[in-house]
Amino acid sequence: MQLSGGASDALMTTDAMIVLKDISKTYKVGPSTVRAVEKVDLEIPRGQMVSIVGHSGSGKTTLLSLIGGLTKPSDGRVIIDDINIWTLSDKEMSQLRNEKIGFSFQFASLFPTLNAIDNVRLPATFGSKNESDHDRAIELLNLVGLEDRIYSYPGQLSGGEQRRVALARTLMNKPRLILADEPTGDLDEDTEADILEIFRTINGEGVTIVIVTHSRAVASQAQRMLRMHRGLLSEEEE
Amino acid sequence: MKRLGLLYLAAQNLRRKPFRSFVTIAIVALAAGTLFSATLLIGSVDRSLEVGMERLGADLLVVPEGYQESGQAALITGAPTSFYMDGSILDQVKTVPGVDQASPQLFIESMVSSQCCTGHVQLVGYDPSSDFVVSPWLRDNLQRTLSKDEVVIGSLILANKGEQVHFYGHDFDVAGVLDATGMGVDESVFMSLDTAYLMARESAQVAESPLDVKPGQISSVLVKMADGTNVDQLTQRIKTNVPGTTVITANELSRSVTDRISGFKRGFIAVDAIVWIMSLLTIAAIFSMIVNERQREIGLLRAMGSSRQFVFRLMLTEAVFLTAAGGIAGIFVGGAALFIFKAIITSSLGIPYLWPPVLTFVKLMAITMILAIVSGAVASLYPALSSSRLEPYAAIRRGE
Ligand SMILES: Nc1ncnc2c1ncn2[C@@H]1O[C@H](COP(=O)(O)OP(=O)(O)OP(=O)(O)O)[C@@H](O)[C@H]1O
Ligand SMILES: [Mg+2]
Repeated sequence: MQLSGGASDALMTTDAMIVLKDISKTYKVGPSTVRAVEKVDLEIPRGQMVSIVGHSGSGKTTLLSLIGGLTKPSDGRVIIDDINIWTLSDKEMSQLRNEKIGFSFQFASLFPTLNAIDNVRLPATFGSKNESDHDRAIELLNLVGLEDRIYSYPGQLSGGEQRRVALARTLMNKPRLILADEPTGDLDEDTEADILEIFRTINGEGVTIVIVTHSRAVASQAQRMLRMHRGLLSEEEE
Repeated sequence: MKRLGLLYLAAQNLRRKPFRSFVTIAIVALAAGTLFSATLLIGSVDRSLEVGMERLGADLLVVPEGYQESGQAALITGAPTSFYMDGSILDQVKTVPGVDQASPQLFIESMVSSQCCTGHVQLVGYDPSSDFVVSPWLRDNLQRTLSKDEVVIGSLILANKGEQVHFYGHDFDVAGVLDATGMGVDESVFMSLDTAYLMARESAQVAESPLDVKPGQISSVLVKMADGTNVDQLTQRIKTNVPGTTVITANELSRSVTDRISGFKRGFIAVDAIVWIMSLLTIAAIFSMIVNERQREIGLLRAMGSSRQFVFRLMLTEAVFLTAAGGIAGIFVGGAALFIFKAIITSSLGIPYLWPPVLTFVKLMAITMILAIVSGAVASLYPALSSSRLEPYAAIRRGE
């Protein structure tokens, strides 16, 4: 099964999927300023699998959100697939997220009112493609080993099962870029290995992947490892 | 299989909190139901008045002094009465300047002792030679006058054309049934004056309780004014020229109903305004709560690529779902309540009542629904807007 979209379309002017230029994100909390991400410069080529490690509170989730356009940088530019994303309208930005980016969140992120398959189909709702999404959703649930829980609601699934449904949802629209925040956070080693295998397969199809992780095993799978420390980003040498 | 849509998502969200959804629907139903039923009631009274006045066909009624009230009651709600004056009054009225046509009527209270069962009815004797109320109807519908064993009945008398009714030991054939007016006419039975006198005379022999009506007696004189006559001046002239009488004008008759209903109208407007405002505020409050609770989900939707506009529409749709359901429930419950309690309401307020034509019904339903839907949209506008403005990451974090 093809998990991702075809090799990217027109206007491929650089090899970079992600370019962060002098990105900072600060929060004002009372009189003090929290520097969650500070002056980060980063370039991730298409098709690369990158892991980000770092202590709790070092700014990893904030960085992923900046890459995905979920939060506006206090300073600097975010360029995804050669598009300076903060020059886009809300509609264009939403479309970009919908078609190109797959988010996988740190916490359980399923919609309690929808069953597994409807949760997986959700991203297709916002797209402009008119093809039936049902079959693809089933395939993806198969892929994550939940073919017999298609109609279960999140409340009827274990934490690990919910994470796998969420992963299937991440892949729904065949994203060219996957931003995964601790995708194997509370999973046993076997399930972690399964999920890693899926990431590797997708990466093999040319999808760019950024994984935030605490797991050595996961981090070591990446072609490149980055470390966040108090909002600062550095390359981790092998 | 179809794609998930806005409506499906909205419906799923509402099912999550059934009690809250139910309460919202109930509040809107209360507002919509009050509006629907009260407007229907008022409209029905107006319509009844219009139709009833046309059927009455007279500009004013001359009745014995002191019987103005009971005369009005008889005309409006059909409360049976009997009062009599001498037949010579008719000739006196005819001579008053400004009177174009004048025709006598005789009122006789009766119990119905036939298949029909409304209890009291008002028997009305009219004079075929001068009458301008029943005769035109007979001309249009029967193309003849009534024989001495025939009557025409109001729409509420439970008998059909061709059946028989009995009064004071007499059998009568029902020659026709008048259209509904919602007013006293509906509970009246019309016969010619001669028939009425004959029935009265023979009642001494054949009826259980004989009638004390002498030939020549009448109850009222219906008057049509000459063109260009002033009602008030004519009323005054009749009162002075014909001693022992008083006058009920058609205007007065409508006004007495309008007055009775105007207090109700004011009260209803106040109550319904309050209920609508309350339901708007409640919906606004509930949807602010919903937006708060669902911040994380809204953030997630945005991360998956839903636009601001979609989030906005989703919230608005949820609200409109609820208020539309409230509107439908209100129309049903309000309509049913009016249907069930109509008799009590009309008799306690002393007002006539006639259900409006279907088109009016439909219009009123449409207006109620539009109002309910617009209310939902307006009340949820601000919460929906603020939910769509949330920054996805902030929304996701704050909902944690
Ligand atoms: N909205 C906010 N207001 C103030 N401070 C914030 C806000 N969001 C994040 N921060 C701060 O920014 C810093 C980075 O947070 P972030 O969630 O990115 O860390 P993280 O590396 O993902 O941590 P973890 O491994 O625990 O998930 C933290 O100190 C956090 O308290
Ligand atoms: Mg984090």
